[in-house]
Amino acid sequence: MDRAQLSLPPTYYPEPIEPTILQRGGAMPDSPFWNKRHETMPRDELEALQVHKLRHLVEWANERVPYHAKRLSDAGVTADSIQSLDDLRRLPFMTREEWMRSQVEHPPFGPILAAPENDAIRYHMTSGTTGRTPIRVLDSMKDWEWIAEMWCYGFWGFGVRPSDTVFFAFSYGTFVGFWGAHYACEKIGCLVLPGGNMTTEARVKQIVDMKATVVCSTPTYALRMAQEAHKLGIDLANGPVKRLILSGEPAGSIPATKKLIEDQWGAVAGDTAGMTELGTIMVFECSEQPGGTHIIEPHFIEEVVDPVSAEPVGYGEQGERVVTSFGRGFIPVLRYRTRDLVVKVPADRCSCGRTLDIYEGGIVGRVDDMKLVRGTNVYPRAVEAIVREFTEVDEFQIHLYTAEGIRDEIEVLVEIPDADADANSILEKIGSELSEAHEGLRFGVRKVDNDSLPRFELKAKRLNDEREVVGGAGERKKA
Amino acid sequence: MPKTWIDPPKVLNDAELKLVDVYNTLVKTLDESGDDLEPFERRNALKAVAALWQVMNGLDLDPGHLYDIGA
Repeated sequence: MDRAQLSLPPTYYPEPIEPTILQRGGAMPDSPFWNKRHETMPRDELEALQVHKLRHLVEWANERVPYHAKRLSDAGVTADSIQSLDDLRRLPFMTREEWMRSQVEHPPFGPILAAPENDAIRYHMTSGTTGRTPIRVLDSMKDWEWIAEMWCYGFWGFGVRPSDTVFFAFSYGTFVGFWGAHYACEKIGCLVLPGGNMTTEARVKQIVDMKATVVCSTPTYALRMAQEAHKLGIDLANGPVKRLILSGEPAGSIPATKKLIEDQWGAVAGDTAGMTELGTIMVFECSEQPGGTHIIEPHFIEEVVDPVSAEPVGYGEQGERVVTSFGRGFIPVLRYRTRDLVVKVPADRCSCGRTLDIYEGGIVGRVDDMKLVRGTNVYPRAVEAIVREFTEVDEFQIHLYTAEGIRDEIEVLVEIPDADADANSILEKIGSELSEAHEGLRFGVRKVDNDSLPRFELKAKRLNDEREVVGGAGERKKA
Repeated sequence: MPKTWIDPPKVLNDAELKLVDVYNTLVKTLDESGDDLEPFERRNALKAVAALWQVMNGLDLDPGHLYDIGA
């Protein structure tokens, strides 16, 4: 039967249901793919599908959201006029600033809803990585099923199966975080352990007591739990956990951080990345661990553009993610400038068989994360990549300050709890490697007391910028 | 240049066709007779149709949106 025939009136009437006992993980085929057709679709068919869905999205936004209708009309874009992915560039960008401003002008959600608020079942807001005003979002029942569906691509692709027991080290609040992942695991058929409102000690103990095979957390918190386990005398590396699903920070794809996490847990770690503006993840690392994350392209168009000129950049070049989402109908998202920095590479970098392109190294940073220190660009992620090579370092913080009232200085504060470690030698090596990776920029590296640096459960903030003068150009911070 | 969209000669298997029929039946029932259903009937049917929408969407059958029937 082809698609045209599918609109015929339904004629199927199921036989009466016989009582049966359904076992978890019963007869489901163990495909490496959640949706094989989507994940292995030839690229020309995939692009055609994206064009088709883009037309529907533009039509939907135009009909249901006057805010989008005006923007599309101003740009001269109609659904019918979209013939190829090149036409996507005719659509105006959405920015976070515009979104926040629209919510201030039309509180609380802005003029961006495609359905009445009463049809929503759930409210979430951004965690506030950037900007002062959080983005507020609503979703319907169907949208929430889709949100979970995207996580299913990721969990299944990394090897999570119905027989798994999954622990969520997550606080279950208005930050969307792992909410969708929780529902995805229920959908897959896993036993889910919701680890909200617990101390780190209690979480570690429950992971071990309940024999969790999968743990979900931020990369930072995975390390925090490992530290706690060490204090408690628990040997995680020989424990039940086989997989960690990481999200919320770029560190899930920093090789040194990832290796540290994998070594401490004796498990493989898979990176994912999502955003509240989409409600879910748009990329995931498969079980082949190709050093990056596959883009769920049947549900998203991910462009990569130069952050300044907004011109597209090619495979292998770093640029800013711009996302168009097909799944969430309540808030249509068209060409949203994410400020995330990525490097897209072709799907065949991975041997898993997926035809979905890859962000090499995951989310490699944020456009607004970059700090200019005495004329040199410093990205926190690059600093972490070096510091994490030194496994003696338990925690660290990047500290920027103004010396002698005029000069930018950068130092890295580190905790080295092992009393037997040669701390002076480690500090010297870290400073040397940081300098070498930053055009000779001098980094101070200082040992601080154990447990004196902040620990994080969600997004870590390891950069403390206390400069009075920023950028090395004499510009003083406003009081 | 990507080709423009044409309906592919895709064949669904019998099990998939049954899911399509169930989905269509649920949507039609909720749209035309939702007011005749008890709360437990209507809300559970909406949950079911929201889940089945993912199958239709995963098969690229253009299921549109379900807000007008409450999902």
